[in-house]
Amino acid sequence: MDTLHPASGPVDRTIVVNRVAEHQWHALDDDRVAGRGNAVRRPDGRLFVSVDAWHEAVFRRLASALLADLPRPLYTVVDETDIDQTAGWLLAGFSIGRRERGYLVPTDPADTGLVSADLASTRLADIGPAGTATAVPVPVPPPAGVTIIPAGSADGHRLRLLDRAIRDEIGATVGWQTMPAEVIALPPGVTVPDPSKYAVAAQGSEYVGMLRLATATRQPRIGLLAVRADHRRRGIARALLAHTLTTLHARGTRAAWAEITEANTAALALFEAAGARHAATNLELVRR
Amino acid sequence: MSRKNGGIEVEGTVLECLRSATFTVELGNGHKVLAHISGKIRKNHIKIVPYDRVLVELSPYDLTRGRIVFRYRN
Repeated sequence: MDTLHPASGPVDRTIVVNRVAEHQWHALDDDRVAGRGNAVRRPDGRLFVSVDAWHEAVFRRLASALLADLPRPLYTVVDETDIDQTAGWLLAGFSIGRRERGYLVPTDPADTGLVSADLASTRLADIGPAGTATAVPVPVPPPAGVTIIPAGSADGHRLRLLDRAIRDEIGATVGWQTMPAEVIALPPGVTVPDPSKYAVAAQGSEYVGMLRLATATRQPRIGLLAVRADHRRRGIARALLAHTLTTLHARGTRAAWAEITEANTAALALFEAAGARHAATNLELVRR
Repeated sequence: MSRKNGGIEVEGTVLECLRSATFTVELGNGHKVLAHISGKIRKNHIKIVPYDRVLVELSPYDLTRGRIVFRYRN
């Protein structure tokens, strides 16, 4: 429920809940729509529900209707700080399935620290009349033998092979089970719809790591950062992140957004070491 | 401004992110409302940040409250 209006709200007995479509419910208060329920089945097969209501009583009625009409397990997502929504779902029998942190990731190398320690690689971009020099930070390099291919330059076929190999390694289903943001419905077998969004780490002719950046909105979002299992702990993910953030900084973007499940301690450590600020927490709730 | 399923929907601009997953949104007529994110937007992990253009459904019980039901692309 968005707000509580106990004095002016509808009386529970006046609320009528109707299932108006297969995945849509309306709560009517004297013929006025006082709330809506919605369900959507994600590509990974999980059924997610949501309720939008102006009053606690309406929320309860809609949640009860959804629970009665739909098969379990059911899932929903709430912001941890949204006390009303969270309490409403917990009262309806949901429990916390997992937590996902939202991070604001700075792009300025002075904040991320993701710059090369090798002073020899620092480029002198501008030498002023008084002989002062402005150093352009160079992102931390990848490990020896690995090169970073900028977004838009990767080979689509090899990128798809990498995506498939990583999915096989982690047992991912459609939409990466543990990454609920990946919910875009794609044709069967298609997992990389737009290769131009990916920066790639390559070792020789083999692709070993990738980072996908969505820039359609004002705040770019790091949607995926993954490295082949046998190439981890070499600094490839850090180099991909450094490359991407430095590129964004050069374009004038001050911060990016990323979501990381709390169970992924390696990713949390990587982003927090790069100055990422924990700005939100989403809870995935489940009713079994 | 439009009406959908009995609710009043108005375009606005997000001014500020507040606590408890609420936002201050300035509507086209200059009024400011306190808005939550709709469950459908939350479910799809759509991120709302200041200066985003959004569609707000106003509460029929309190016109200073609303729910963000759509975020426009830039």
